[in-house]
Amino acid sequence: MGDERRQFDEIFLPHLDAAYNLARWIVQNDQDAQDVVQEAYIRAFKGFHGFRGGNGRAWLLTIVRNAAYTWLNKRVSDQRWVPYVEEKHAQIISINQPAKEHGIEKQTEDLHSALERLPPEFREVIILYEIEGLSYKELALSLGVPVGTVMSRLSRARRRLRAQLEQSKTRRAANGL
Amino acid sequence: MDCDEVGQLLDAYLDDELDETTRREVEKHLDGCPDCKIEADRIAGFSSLVRTTLPMYKAPPALKAKIRASLREVSEPEPHWLFRLRRPLIYAAAILLLGFLLATALRTFAPNRNQELISQAITNHACSLMVDHLVDVTSNDRHIIRPWFNGKLDYSPPVADLAQEGYALVGGRIDMLDKRPVAAIVYRHGSLVINVFVWPDANGKIDFDVQSDRGYHFCGWNQAGLNYFCISAATAEDIEKFEDEFRDHVNL
Repeated sequence: MGDERRQFDEIFLPHLDAAYNLARWIVQNDQDAQDVVQEAYIRAFKGFHGFRGGNGRAWLLTIVRNAAYTWLNKRVSDQRWVPYVEEKHAQIISINQPAKEHGIEKQTEDLHSALERLPPEFREVIILYEIEGLSYKELALSLGVPVGTVMSRLSRARRRLRAQLEQSKTRRAANGL
Repeated sequence: MDCDEVGQLLDAYLDDELDETTRREVEKHLDGCPDCKIEADRIAGFSSLVRTTLPMYKAPPALKAKIRASLREVSEPEPHWLFRLRRPLIYAAAILLLGFLLATALRTFAPNRNQELISQAITNHACSLMVDHLVDVTSNDRHIIRPWFNGKLDYSPPVADLAQEGYALVGGRIDMLDKRPVAAIVYRHGSLVINVFVWPDANGKIDFDVQSDRGYHFCGWNQAGLNYFCISAATAEDIEKFEDEFRDHVNL
């Protein structure tokens, strides 16, 4: 293994979960997310000489994001995100998030489905900011938009997610669950 | 700042992404506006709820191995250009070797051709002396001999006037040599006859120093697309001298 490869692995392989999580949230399917992440790592390695240090996680996630959108754009535009299917997502959560306390589990499930119903551009700012902790500036670079746009997009994403969550709770209440 | 403006900035305020001046203004507004304060708390609470409760997808264990494999593939060093060109290089080397062998073979067989040529030239020379057929055209003037050849050969042999040097021009003749009709230019040096055969080098160039065979001395050279073969019973020295004089005059 060359020095470059060793260095690359050291910097970027620890971010594999983050990369997969982002890809998974954007393309919303395990197999495609794996393909996207694999593609992104190859792209990242080929562009490694262009990496000037700094936040490797943000750099990698930007590439993952672009790879994910390349993949999404291959799909027909009216199928940009999969409609919500309760059973399918319930299953995913049970795999990734083993049941803890009953109430928390429900909340997680609600949040999950609420986020799934957001358009991808809102989903990704939530993931990149709340989960990955990118700064506004890093988000702006990653999304290729001005910081002002990041500010308003994140704000709108939170509002919509909150609204979706309220809806889920209301529906759950109406169903007597 | 009114509630609408603050509402637009609340997220950035809570995320600590505002510049100092704006941050203070928002803070000041929040101190005196319970509605906006409630909204701010809601946003902050929601944000932390998302952070703590949103499920993270974990990469399947096989993915890392897959990525490592594809990285190995792309990080293999590019083959050296010599390696990539190995096939053409092998062909080129083979062709060169073949060429070399062919050249060697030709060189090996070339003496045979020379021997044949020399034999023929000696015969021609001897015949020209025995039978009364030394010349077809008799003249000591090269301006007569050269045009005489013109109608009979597909090339124009140079005829040197070497009278000053002690080689008197006798005339010209057509002989067969090297499987073609060639010009024979005849000189006399004292009592001895010198035949100079001149012909195009299409079948190969000749070049050899003075040799002797059957009592004759002869030498051959190539000059400007023509082969020259001169032969005489004269001494090797005389032949050498003749060659030098002849070459000089042809060069002029």
